[in-house]
Amino acid sequence: MAKTVIPIGPYHPLMEEPELFRLTVEGETVVDVEANLGYNHRGIEKLSESKTFDQSTFVIERICGICSTSHPFAYTQAVEDIIPLQVPERAKYIRTIVGEGERIHSHLLWAGLAGHFLGYNTVFMWAWKLREEILDVMEILTGNRQNYAMFKPGGVRRDIRSQDIPVVLRKIDSIMPTLERIRKAIVDDPVLHARLKGIGVLSKEEAIDYCAVGPTARASGIDRDVRKDAPYAAYDRVDWKMIVTNNGDVFDKVVVRVLEIFESVAIMKQCLEQLPGGEIDAKITSIPPGEGIGTHEAPRGEVFHYVRSDGSNRPVRHKVRAPSFMNIPTCKATVVGGTISDATIILAAVDPCYCCTERLVVRSPDGRRLYDGQDLVRLSQEKTAALRKELGLP
Amino acid sequence: MRLPKLRELAEALKAVVRGPYTSRFPVEPHVPYPSFRGQPRYDAAKCVGCLACEQVCPVEAIAHRDETGGGEPKRVMIHYTDTCIFCGSCEAACIADHEGIRLSTDWNLAFFDRRTESFETIEKPLQLCEMCGAVIACIDHLTWIADRLGELAFASPTLYQSRLAGLGIADENIAAVLRDHGRSDRGKILCARCRRETTLTTKEEPKPGEKGEAG
Repeated sequence: MAKTVIPIGPYHPLMEEPELFRLTVEGETVVDVEANLGYNHRGIEKLSESKTFDQSTFVIERICGICSTSHPFAYTQAVEDIIPLQVPERAKYIRTIVGEGERIHSHLLWAGLAGHFLGYNTVFMWAWKLREEILDVMEILTGNRQNYAMFKPGGVRRDIRSQDIPVVLRKIDSIMPTLERIRKAIVDDPVLHARLKGIGVLSKEEAIDYCAVGPTARASGIDRDVRKDAPYAAYDRVDWKMIVTNNGDVFDKVVVRVLEIFESVAIMKQCLEQLPGGEIDAKITSIPPGEGIGTHEAPRGEVFHYVRSDGSNRPVRHKVRAPSFMNIPTCKATVVGGTISDATIILAAVDPCYCCTERLVVRSPDGRRLYDGQDLVRLSQEKTAALRKELGLP
Repeated sequence: MRLPKLRELAEALKAVVRGPYTSRFPVEPHVPYPSFRGQPRYDAAKCVGCLACEQVCPVEAIAHRDETGGGEPKRVMIHYTDTCIFCGSCEAACIADHEGIRLSTDWNLAFFDRRTESFETIEKPLQLCEMCGAVIACIDHLTWIADRLGELAFASPTLYQSRLAGLGIADENIAAVLRDHGRSDRGKILCARCRRETTLTTKEEPKPGEKGEAG
């Protein structure tokens, strides 16, 4: 059978990491996939080196639009590692609260998009509606819905006002029923079971070989989480458990993320209740020559920052490794052998921004355009509809 | 197997009764939470024009222009709305008790003409060197330093004189005392360069109209 190459990507301004997937297909089956990275090089590392340590935080925050706190979280820890310095207790708790709030909204956003790709728009609407509530909580706590501008080397920029805490706790309690409903709508749904179980399987060995991180690794039975393995901020002071499942298929990746939302809510509530008093900023006066590393468990996995200082007020080297960089190559193990209609959700399951499908074009040998991104989503939705009919569901 | 679908159906029916979740925005105005980070605004009365905000701004959304051409010399502080990321660094760095520039809760920042509407300005009177005409600082900034130093401000004629000028007093005594020792201009409000010159040299006072080197 003739092979066809389907390019997905590479450019989309909304993506945190533009990438190009070249799917080689034989009929409906994907026989090979090739992932290319590095298209939208923004020079963030170099830009960061031209700003002061304090100003860099804002550049770093804009690496990713969704996990906008993960990068400053790791960066500030890297800078504090140079000195070395312990940030005040209150700042640690506030950092944890912001970090977990972001995880909730990021997982909800992903759950909604995944639902949309599957043609299950109920989840899409519910998850995004609930995400609004979380963004409101973040607005109350930090003043912004995104790009919170809370982190600074040595502490946090803004204190959480004591009168806001009961308001936020009430708001979190009020969303719990909806969250529970979304969990049921995803985990109990027979169509999702039929559609997602056993596709895009990433075995434990493959996950180790590809150095997968975050929910992608935890769905394959690897109990690895920076928050547990090397506790930082206030993660060792609160009670929570790491969600690990063993099948490594897309369904497990969904389950891990959905259950992680509940853990994040628990962490957030405990931190808000136990929030200690005191300073929020260690007031760094100078940063000595040296180097430091910082890690943070971002919603997509471990994010790693390396910063070197020569004693001036600007970093001389700043290296960033985002979690999707480790997770995207796993598509080599998961997409191959599946069908094109499954490729969408398998690639989306590692949670890169999936807007890149809009660039998808299938060309027949004579150069005629057959499919575009809309068609791919349609194909995926049609498969769900067919399954629904097969299961005798409305 | 049908239970999950019934649950969704119940939710859909509830939504029909409850009406839309979204707010009726243009009809009902949006009221942000008090801690919302909106447009930073200068307070012309409290700002001292020290430029700390300009220095810390990570996106260079704050700039200034010193107007010393004609009329009263003044410093125009400019805040660019379209560049600002509302991080609050300016407020945190403000030396005037964080009140010279403050984040407001104003989110409605749309404008039509970028050249005329994309920025906000305030004007602060400038103090020029009385010898060479170079910019020293805003008058309010000098007063602010003098206030903070208290009596130590008497050590610097620039601070002392600007403090007196702010109170509307002219102290002739200083000039009179110094005149007998060669350089009566030492008692004037001077830039750093002119202060060194008047301290280290015994050059005659420049005649009116014959300006010294620009600082």
